[in-house]
Amino acid sequence: MAEQDHFSLEDFWMQDITQSLDVGIVVLDLDFKIVLWNSFMENHHGAGSEHVLGSEIFDMFDDLPTDWFKQKVRGVLQFKGRAFTTWEQRPYLFRMNHYRPFTSVAEFMYQNITIIPLRDISGNFSHVGIIVYDVTDVALQKIKLQETKNELGVLAKTDDLTGLYNRGYWDHRLRQEFDRYSRTRQTPTLIMLDIDHFKKVNDTYGHDAGDEVIKMLANLLVCQLRATDVIGRLGGEEFGVILIDTTVEPAEILANRLRQTIEDTTIYAGGNEIKITSSFGVTELNGQFDDYKQWFKTVDLALYDSKNANRNTVTVRRLTR
Amino acid sequence: MHVLICDDSGFARKQMMRCLPADWPIEISYASNGKEGLDVIRAGKGELVFLDLNMPEMDGYEVLSEIQTHDLPAMSIVVSGDVQTEAYSRVKKLGALDFIQKPVSVDEIIRILKEYGIHDAATGEHRDDEMAVPFEEGYQELANIALGRAVKLLAQYLDVFVEMSIPHAYQLALGELNMALSHIQVDDRVSAVSQGFMGGGMGGEALLMFNDSNLESIASLLHYDKANTEDTETELMMDIANIMIGACLSGLSEQIDVRLSQGHPQILDRHIFVGDILKDGGAIPALTIEMGCSIKSHNIDIELLLMFTNDSIEVLNKKLNYLVS
Repeated sequence: MAEQDHFSLEDFWMQDITQSLDVGIVVLDLDFKIVLWNSFMENHHGAGSEHVLGSEIFDMFDDLPTDWFKQKVRGVLQFKGRAFTTWEQRPYLFRMNHYRPFTSVAEFMYQNITIIPLRDISGNFSHVGIIVYDVTDVALQKIKLQETKNELGVLAKTDDLTGLYNRGYWDHRLRQEFDRYSRTRQTPTLIMLDIDHFKKVNDTYGHDAGDEVIKMLANLLVCQLRATDVIGRLGGEEFGVILIDTTVEPAEILANRLRQTIEDTTIYAGGNEIKITSSFGVTELNGQFDDYKQWFKTVDLALYDSKNANRNTVTVRRLTR
Repeated sequence: MHVLICDDSGFARKQMMRCLPADWPIEISYASNGKEGLDVIRAGKGELVFLDLNMPEMDGYEVLSEIQTHDLPAMSIVVSGDVQTEAYSRVKKLGALDFIQKPVSVDEIIRILKEYGIHDAATGEHRDDEMAVPFEEGYQELANIALGRAVKLLAQYLDVFVEMSIPHAYQLALGELNMALSHIQVDDRVSAVSQGFMGGGMGGEALLMFNDSNLESIASLLHYDKANTEDTETELMMDIANIMIGACLSGLSEQIDVRLSQGHPQILDRHIFVGDILKDGGAIPALTIEMGCSIKSHNIDIELLLMFTNDSIEVLNKKLNYLVS
């Protein structure tokens, strides 16, 4: 008899603890009617057990996806194993309030859910148990972290002043394009350009005006080139463009058009009207190049040729050994 | 009578042999793949064959078909971890006498021998043996049976025949993990679900990996909406993880009689390189069992790794010893 008491006391404790667990527990029968609803559910949902027992779960939560939920429950009964769903799948299954309405931005409780098959006394699966974990804090942190990662990813690629790719990332793309060519044999062409006598702009109109000029040129490049072309600011007043799947002939025409447009443009900065010109190098990639550095070096030499030829000009160079 | 036990796992051969009743006067031969098995049969040493299905070189289906085609003097009883309904009907069509689900038990063998009038055992005693088997083969056999359960459920869920591969156990360094993957290329981008398990002094993580192109194929197999969003992928990955990992772990825990708690599954970063999955991790798995399955008709390969902690090895070894002694 004493042993009997002992067991029932444990059962009693167990029940007490189940009620105090900060976890939602719901038991449904095969008609999706609620058989058990613990105090976590009472408190977060708002409806007391006495009003809820015997109701269909779908009546308690308007936005519970009926077909989806029924399919999950059927799966659990068919495969006789538990099913887990995460907040990444569905932020919540049962829309409820969470604990920190004031110090957190969440509008609802993010939930992980476990659905387990339950047997009756004769061993047949007759019910399912649903366990609801509040994972709001973890979910918000992970979302925030992902946003930060995305921002960092963008920051690490771009040049602050112009929004073009920075030298590091552009180099990375140049290498990628070189590797891609060895596989696909789709010819890319590299253009490098530099503003002529840029030091004079800075000296005459000041550095702010110089920055304006660089920004204007960056804008012009973005407007004139295709979205697939890879434009980078390589440093100072020097820019690089990788023209994907473009041979040297159209690239030279394009470079000349850019050169002309820059020459024709008047830049207004700090009350001044500024005119600039620019020099270009153009080099097509072919199978003779050993690596991407050699390609880059060749286009650099082409640009150097243009500078030597009195500037405001376009020079095409092939690989010379 | 000449009895042949044909199974690629030494552990399974030992388990099988021990289940043959001690009072049955027989001569036993062994083969570790279908080719060897056929040689034994042709030499007249395999009047009754206990035949595994998934074996290297030549599998059980091919052996059955050879026996049928050439009318070889052998009765076959298939003993398999692959328990899909279609596997059962395939071997029946190929002339197998019966189909036993692994792991085998003395009682089941006695029942079958009696049913087919082969031997009426008076004792349920185990046959003695001096066979030494490396633990690796034991791990692999445990995994083979667990995977068989998982594959059966997956086949039901997707309504296709799923081919299971032969599990491999590895004790390797982190960087070598890539080499353990037979269904996924090292430079493939994958999405993965991890689920921890723990109990009885052992524990580890189950890692389910999908090739990104596979997710699309699975979605179409299930007639999911073509608007293939991240949501659909997550849903699919979780559904398959629930089925496969759940069945595998319960298959494992039943065999070694350990109750395992499961953590909530975590979706790891999406579309990442295989090599990056474990690089931020802490401990190095002491034992990794690689298993995979594929759906050839739809070009789908799924990779499942069971990774065990250092502490698990002692527990597993103890359980394995118990299973064959």
